[in-house]
Amino acid sequence: MAFGFGRKKKDGAPADAEVFPALATIEPREHVRVKGQIFKLKTRPSQGMPALEVTLVDDTGSVTVVWSGRRSIGGVGLGRRIIIEGVPMKGPRGLTFTNPSYELL
Amino acid sequence: MKIVIAGAGSVGSYMAEELAKLGHGIILLDNDPSVVSRGESIPGVQFVLGDACDADVLAKAGVPDADVVAAVTGDDEDNLVVSLLSKQEFGVPRVVARVNNPKNEWMFNDMWGVDVSVSTPHLLTALVEEAVTVGSFVHLMNFERGQAGLCEVTLAEGSPAIDKQIRDLAWPREASVVGIIRDGHVLPPNGDFVLHANDEVLVLARAEAEDDVRAVLIGS
Repeated sequence: MAFGFGRKKKDGAPADAEVFPALATIEPREHVRVKGQIFKLKTRPSQGMPALEVTLVDDTGSVTVVWSGRRSIGGVGLGRRIIIEGVPMKGPRGLTFTNPSYELL
Repeated sequence: MKIVIAGAGSVGSYMAEELAKLGHGIILLDNDPSVVSRGESIPGVQFVLGDACDADVLAKAGVPDADVVAAVTGDDEDNLVVSLLSKQEFGVPRVVARVNNPKNEWMFNDMWGVDVSVSTPHLLTALVEEAVTVGSFVHLMNFERGQAGLCEVTLAEGSPAIDKQIRDLAWPREASVVGIIRDGHVLPPNGDFVLHANDEVLVLARAEAEDDVRAVLIGS
């Protein structure tokens, strides 16, 4: 199991050959690696600390990704395709990843 | 429910024992072998030796499918790390953390993965206040990450709520009377219940409604 803090990249196939599960099919609390396009981007303060909240979509659905403690991440912009890897959980805006590792495509 | 408790000191061991008695599956984590061997006598509790601040140890201890993680070590830094890892790496639905130094309480929020924080000094202060005060507003505890709280007012002689029925008072939205304690008896808050002086009124309210609750029960 690769943890977010390890930032361990998966060996093997390049990103374009890898098959990713559809966003609509992922389950809470299961470690996954998914691909999507950034559809919405917002900075929200959370008890005095900023957080970057991103909505990621693919053809099947969407997930929310939150990176805490920052207002922006270089390369993470609207329309960008990214891969994220982590454990989602049920949140107020659907499945939410907190501080997952990410790869820009 | 499957509950993982980090920290097997007096707080953690006690919680483990009580929760195991209630039929929950308990895993107790500590990195001190002497504590772990001492604690192995608690029936129904599984002990894991290891550093709870290590994600691999948490994975081995069963956090990936735990319903609740309680970070109750005597060290606030450790409790925060355990909370963050539990939430971020394992998506634990409910993370409870113990605040040792009240000065650190501001950090125990959802940014650090904490759903509920328990601060003994704050709790003690509130309870002492509750025990000695009549006619003032006492905030007993928080729910839902501080968005809602349980408050208590012991009605003073001059309170505007005295001799009124509960339904006739101008309760704000987002506030609910949950019970009344009179002469040591717990009474349900029916609409036609008439409040008397020295009744302890317990109200569950969102933070923004507390001022209105205060106005109803104490006056301005």
